[in-house]
Amino acid sequence: MRKGDSLVAHMDWPLFVTYIVMLIVGMATVYSVAYNEEHPNIFEYSEKYGKQLVWLGISLFLGLIVFLIDSDIYRKFSVPIYMFTLFLLVIVLFTPKINGASAWLGIGSMGVQPAEFAKIGTALLLARFISTVNVKQQNVQTVLIANAIILVPMVLILLQPDAGTFVVFTSFLFVMYREGITYDPLILRVINRIPGIRFKETWVGGHFIPILFVVVILSVVTLLMSNEILEFGFLPNVKVPGFYSVVATLFLIALLFLIFLRFVSARRERGRATLVVILGFSMAAGLSSMVNYGFQGLRQHQKDRIELFLGMKEDPNGKDYNRNRAMAAVGSGGFIGKGYREASVSSVRSNHVPESETDFIFCPFAEEWGFLGTFTLVALYMFMLVRIIVIAERQRAVFNRVYAYTVAMILFYHFAINIGMNIGFAPVIGIPLPFFSYGGSSMMSFSVMMFILLKLDSQRRDVLQ
Amino acid sequence: MNLDARRYVILTFILLVGIIYTSRLFYMQVVDDQWVLRAQEIAEKRWEITPPRGVLFDRTGKKIVSNRTYYNLMMVEAEIHDLDTAKFAKLIGWTRDEVRERFKEIVRGEGTYYNKNTGKRTPNYQKIRAYPFMKELTLEEVARIAPHLDNFPGFYEEVTSMRSYPYANGANIVGYLSEVSQEEIDEDRFYKPGDNIGKAGLERFYEKELRGRKGIRYIVTSAMNNAIESYADGKYDTSALQGPPLKLGVDIQLQAYGEKLLKGKRGCIVAIEPSTGEILALVSSPSYDPNLMIGKRNISMYYPKLLLDPNTPLLPRPLASEYPPGSTFKLLNSLIALQEGVISPEFGAPCNKSVVGCHNHASAGNLADAIKHSCNPYYYAVMRRIVQQNRKKGVFADAEVGLNRWVDYMKSFGLGRTLETDITGLRPGRIPDVAFYDKWYGHHRWAFSTIRSISIGQGEVTITPLQMANVAAIIANKGWYYTPHFVKSIGSKGPLPEYRKKHYSKIDRKHYDVVIEGMRRVVYEPGGTGRRALLKDIVICGKTGTVQNPHGEDHSTFIAFAPMDNPKIAIAVFIENAKGGGGLWAAPTSSLMIEKYLNRKVTEKEREKTIIDAVFSYMR
Repeated sequence: MRKGDSLVAHMDWPLFVTYIVMLIVGMATVYSVAYNEEHPNIFEYSEKYGKQLVWLGISLFLGLIVFLIDSDIYRKFSVPIYMFTLFLLVIVLFTPKINGASAWLGIGSMGVQPAEFAKIGTALLLARFISTVNVKQQNVQTVLIANAIILVPMVLILLQPDAGTFVVFTSFLFVMYREGITYDPLILRVINRIPGIRFKETWVGGHFIPILFVVVILSVVTLLMSNEILEFGFLPNVKVPGFYSVVATLFLIALLFLIFLRFVSARRERGRATLVVILGFSMAAGLSSMVNYGFQGLRQHQKDRIELFLGMKEDPNGKDYNRNRAMAAVGSGGFIGKGYREASVSSVRSNHVPESETDFIFCPFAEEWGFLGTFTLVALYMFMLVRIIVIAERQRAVFNRVYAYTVAMILFYHFAINIGMNIGFAPVIGIPLPFFSYGGSSMMSFSVMMFILLKLDSQRRDVLQ
Repeated sequence: MNLDARRYVILTFILLVGIIYTSRLFYMQVVDDQWVLRAQEIAEKRWEITPPRGVLFDRTGKKIVSNRTYYNLMMVEAEIHDLDTAKFAKLIGWTRDEVRERFKEIVRGEGTYYNKNTGKRTPNYQKIRAYPFMKELTLEEVARIAPHLDNFPGFYEEVTSMRSYPYANGANIVGYLSEVSQEEIDEDRFYKPGDNIGKAGLERFYEKELRGRKGIRYIVTSAMNNAIESYADGKYDTSALQGPPLKLGVDIQLQAYGEKLLKGKRGCIVAIEPSTGEILALVSSPSYDPNLMIGKRNISMYYPKLLLDPNTPLLPRPLASEYPPGSTFKLLNSLIALQEGVISPEFGAPCNKSVVGCHNHASAGNLADAIKHSCNPYYYAVMRRIVQQNRKKGVFADAEVGLNRWVDYMKSFGLGRTLETDITGLRPGRIPDVAFYDKWYGHHRWAFSTIRSISIGQGEVTITPLQMANVAAIIANKGWYYTPHFVKSIGSKGPLPEYRKKHYSKIDRKHYDVVIEGMRRVVYEPGGTGRRALLKDIVICGKTGTVQNPHGEDHSTFIAFAPMDNPKIAIAVFIENAKGGGGLWAAPTSSLMIEKYLNRKVTEKEREKTIIDAVFSYMR
């Protein structure tokens, strides 16, 4: 830090303000959903909003500490921090199970979840590792180390078990992709053994991660929609099988791309890009129909297993119950919502939507504020994510950029999966909605993550590299 | 490899998800309304409040059907813990086994739900819901149990309303309530299992009026089915509305008196106010105390007994028993013959006992005397003139024409068809027509001589006592009637529109006078068959009937109206298997009813005692 600068001199205000706005809206939602007439005071510690307020205070305090420390410490100490979070992940396995998982460290209601903090540890170490690697000379060892950094905490988390956080850790793969750490060396080593073949790189290996994710997401969405039938109020008697809507959406997206290309791409590249889009669309539609008809062709017990896994099966007390009720709550919000503290399906008191103050907090928000609210929320998240990527790309230091990307991707994962399970687009995986869900660990870990990013960014000019 | 371009791949990814989610949210929240409905199903519950049923008053304003508060002992299994079955059984006066059996019975009673998708059956019973453990406790019973219920969490008492009958009379008029059947629930969504519905009588006929309007409260409920708050501050709630009171034309004291008279006998009395068609009394004997048919416990105890009683107390005889009318029918045949012009009032015929049996009397030289003596051969002669009018060649074809005309007149008296009276259980009776006899004997195989017993109200003719009383009313009115009905007014509205429409018989008004004169002679002249109906200060016009019965003693019947000049009451009495003719039992019974109604007191104490004290052998 240069002398004379205030603490917040080079802070990125748009991101910080977005963060604060989310905290306030999140706090208001927790207050609404957990509202108890007997203790209407928001500072009432016996109620969830009182506790959440304390966590919020602690989070902001931690943020202040982060800002007081020189940002270089995170790069320097990334290994011990990572090791410490791993240590916590091991210890937590020996605690008694709460709700079927050994995920909590601490006493009573003031427990914390080490898995939340493991994200920060892993993010820092991955950033540190990638910043030390020359991507152009990456080899099998580089790929393996990068993967190991992610895999070790993943395995420990799966042992708890905590499927949600486990899935979130795959967000690091996107960061590796951005940085060019691909699976090419592994693939080349296998392929180049074949006599006569001598590749320098493969397209599949290079883009392995996004392709894999497109395939997985498309398959899951297709499966979830394959049993659904869409009806439109303004088109009576028209019933659209869910699968067609997936293909139609893909088509619309492809069309948007083509229009987009006309304005953006250079003329000489346009032909190739158009071809890529059309090819991509055909392959995606083909995959989707394969999944759909493959699924329809399965025997009932096989179908059951998949449906059960994805939480589609009619199981009054199972995952489908939660999702169904969550969707009813979201869908009943209408355009302008039922009004603040008027959620009837998803209030904690009615208990129709389980976990409506934690993992399903999007429900009461959507029910109370309607489409206006949910649109604003999605827009806020979009703005935050894009802003973080803009910040990432302006960093001089690779460490900073990689770290910023991890923050973006972790937040994106939480956003996509959490809201996805509220609208029937994702299986029910218990992960919190950042800055909204009730709970100290996620509040603290996301805040610390955010403040580290803001700190790194505010000092980006100091770094000589 | 251009790594910097990869930021666009990631940005595209993020923005795509944002766009897709926004459109999905738009679809779910704005376009598709299935979620709103589902949310209502989940979180909004209707609470129905059943109002007490409408109350029934008699014509003098006495409450004859009212409501009484009862209590149900409710239980919620989820809230029951550490139940001491022995103590609990002792408290409610059951055995432990009965208590355990009752729990099982409640679960069974709720039935099961069959899920078509999974092929599984799940019981409808829910531990968190309240079910009545004991129903219909009286205040005394609940006062004994309630103070101790604190020791038995999960049990509580709930107020409910049931019928009560201050007068133990008119059971066959008012009917009774019982739990709805599944078919009734399927037919009308007003009802839920456990609701009561009118099963007979006025309770059934006026069910839609009496049940009132259920109050509906929309409430937001939790997953545990507990009410949290009113939905939308009660904006859509409706309050329960009790059904309107029904005012009956029935005079409950006359009804009670009639039931007293017929004690120990099978029979009926129907009394109608001729000027309005209002039914004053409708006695069916034997009957039962309507208070026996209140609530599930009582009904399951008494209903089988009543059903199996050989004297059929549940049968509303005045409506449903189709008797041959006997000699009372002669009045109608007289009127038809006069209208057809086949006789004049001065028509005379010898009492020729070789044609048909008759009692000893002088031959009737005119119609009025024929009625007075109830001369059988005379009416054979009359009927022959009606049926065989020589309008067509051949005796069979001619009989067809004659009978057709006769049937036409009979129908205009409300016979041979079900009257549109406001009660259930009505029967049409039978006026045999051409088609009937063609089926019975064959086409052109019958003529007057074949069917002649209808001339004296025997044979194939049957009519119900209600129809008989209506005939008396038509004669009293000299040719018209309002359909007999019970309800004078529904709330502030008058009777149903069909009871404000006059029906006319096809007999001219002038022909009634001679018949009425004959009916006066029945009671007031020596040799009249109904002398025992004589009252000193009221002029009664009547006609006796002695119905031959192949299965036992003759039935005794009498129809009458009074007073002669300004008829206030028309009556039909029918007493089954009475030893002695219409003059002996039915006529004095009618006179007592008439005196009771018109004078509000009975002077003929001797006559009254004879009737009341008579107990026929089949009733012992």
